[in-house]
Amino acid sequence: MTELVLSQKKSWLFRELNTIVTVMAREITIFFKSPATAITSLAMPIVMMGMIGGNIMQNMAGGLGFQFGQFMLVGMLVNMLFMMTTMGMTSLVDDHDIDFNQEMLVSPVSRYSLIIGKILGSAFAAIFSMAGTLVVGFAMGITLPINKLLMILALSPLMCLSGGALAMIIIGLIKSKRAANMAVMLIVMPQMFLSGAIIPINNSSGLLLVLNRIMPMTYCLDLVRAVVYNGSPEYSNVVMFNPMVNFAAIVALTVVCLMVGTYFFAQSEKNR
Amino acid sequence: MNNPVISVQNLVKRYKNADKAAVDDVSFSVEKGEFFAFLGANGAGKTTTISILTTTLSKTSGEVKIAGFDIEKEARKVRERVGIIFQQPSLDPQLSAEQNIRFHACLYGMYGYRPAFKLMPAAYRNRVMELAEIVGIQDVLFKPIKKLSGGMQRKLEIIRSLIHTPDVLFLDEPTQGLDAVSRRSLWEYINETRTRYGTTVFLTTHYIDEAENVDTVCLINKGKISACCSPEELKRDLLRHELIIDADDRTALLNELSALGLPFTVNGRIVVPYEEESPQEIISKIRTKLTVLKIHEPSLEDAYIEFLTKQSKRAVA
Repeated sequence: MTELVLSQKKSWLFRELNTIVTVMAREITIFFKSPATAITSLAMPIVMMGMIGGNIMQNMAGGLGFQFGQFMLVGMLVNMLFMMTTMGMTSLVDDHDIDFNQEMLVSPVSRYSLIIGKILGSAFAAIFSMAGTLVVGFAMGITLPINKLLMILALSPLMCLSGGALAMIIIGLIKSKRAANMAVMLIVMPQMFLSGAIIPINNSSGLLLVLNRIMPMTYCLDLVRAVVYNGSPEYSNVVMFNPMVNFAAIVALTVVCLMVGTYFFAQSEKNR
Repeated sequence: MNNPVISVQNLVKRYKNADKAAVDDVSFSVEKGEFFAFLGANGAGKTTTISILTTTLSKTSGEVKIAGFDIEKEARKVRERVGIIFQQPSLDPQLSAEQNIRFHACLYGMYGYRPAFKLMPAAYRNRVMELAEIVGIQDVLFKPIKKLSGGMQRKLEIIRSLIHTPDVLFLDEPTQGLDAVSRRSLWEYINETRTRYGTTVFLTTHYIDEAENVDTVCLINKGKISACCSPEELKRDLLRHELIIDADDRTALLNELSALGLPFTVNGRIVVPYEEESPQEIISKIRTKLTVLKIHEPSLEDAYIEFLTKQSKRAVA
């Protein structure tokens, strides 16, 4: 028995990376087996981008010093990554209900690898939803150059990791689906309105300023906008921080959220 | 008990907001290759103990080692060496049977993940097919879990728990909800696994007959271990052997038993307990023509029920 295990043993790094890929692959497999999830991923941008964004664009977007449509499209792309990843993380509650979390937690791998795999798996649906946002944007006459789109796509796993890590702090502690759905709203809505996804926050002050500075999505949005608006005359009106500051803030907040969220999750499953 | 594969010393588990400990100062050890059973009623502390031993539940105090590794300080090494079948099925119903096994094998680092069975290494494919054939689920291996019966799902969990060839296999009421045929075939496979690999098996069950052939049985009641010995010792300590007899001329038989000085009770039939004398010796003394003759060998279930009865009498007293 032991002889067989040892002969199959792989390095620590291989096992952790393999865990991330395995958990991620499970989420993607489930995504393709659930047409409702795919349809929701594509339909959500109609509400977010088409209805909410379109209404703001038509009624409140004058005198900003930059074209609001493109500003909003970038905001919605990042917002959708955060929202869909957060929604995907609620599957942890489903896994708890079917006792699958036990199966994962009894395996000899790092809890961080399990959670990172889960987040990246949820990110697949989130990145898929970007296509819906782009289609709705195109219908509204808002487009992005292909090279900028590819750069956003390259940054999207980092955005999802950041959003998923933040979601873990709350969802990791929750054991009911209803509470998890409410938690999604609690996580997503403040970020959408306070981090600059559709409403510029350059002039925020007081408590709202504090809140938008501690939200990971603020830095994700600013980093993506720095990429999209790089070299354009609107850059200084749209981008708030140096991209390196954004990157550092995203990494720091993601690491902190991931550590706290994973700890909460593992402890809530184990300490009863 | 020189080098036990499971060592539990003064284990205590008190759940949050609970008045009493679910597991209360429990100590025992299990040797390599042993078939060990934990018997107890619902809520006795069986699942709590097995959850702690498999690192899925934290303990309140005590020391637990699996294969020499501390379950808290060296949890990862412990997890590498154990397999578990939980009381409730823990399969992903959205995946196929094979995908569930592949997920498990990859989490245990045996193989790099590949997105299809055909792309997995030959060693994996051969092992899965071999195990599926042994437990008889090769025909449903690629079907969704939802389409598998309860028995087949349990067999699949057995395959999954053995794919990484654990040193210790924990079975938490593995046959709960299974029909008699499924139970029997499951036990045939588990016994074959024990024989083939020398796997240590730790079983919790309230189907007493399943523990009849174990090496050691531990009775747990209200979080405390009341007895820990072989089933034979337990039966010998708790129960007496009996001859059940009757005759058309019952009065003559009763008079004869009294004359021979043999103890007996009449409870429907005439029951003659025996200890030192063999049934053969007792029967050879009786001259009245018998119409009923049965030798009652107590089962583990009889011993267990006797044990519970004594416990409840003691509690009332």
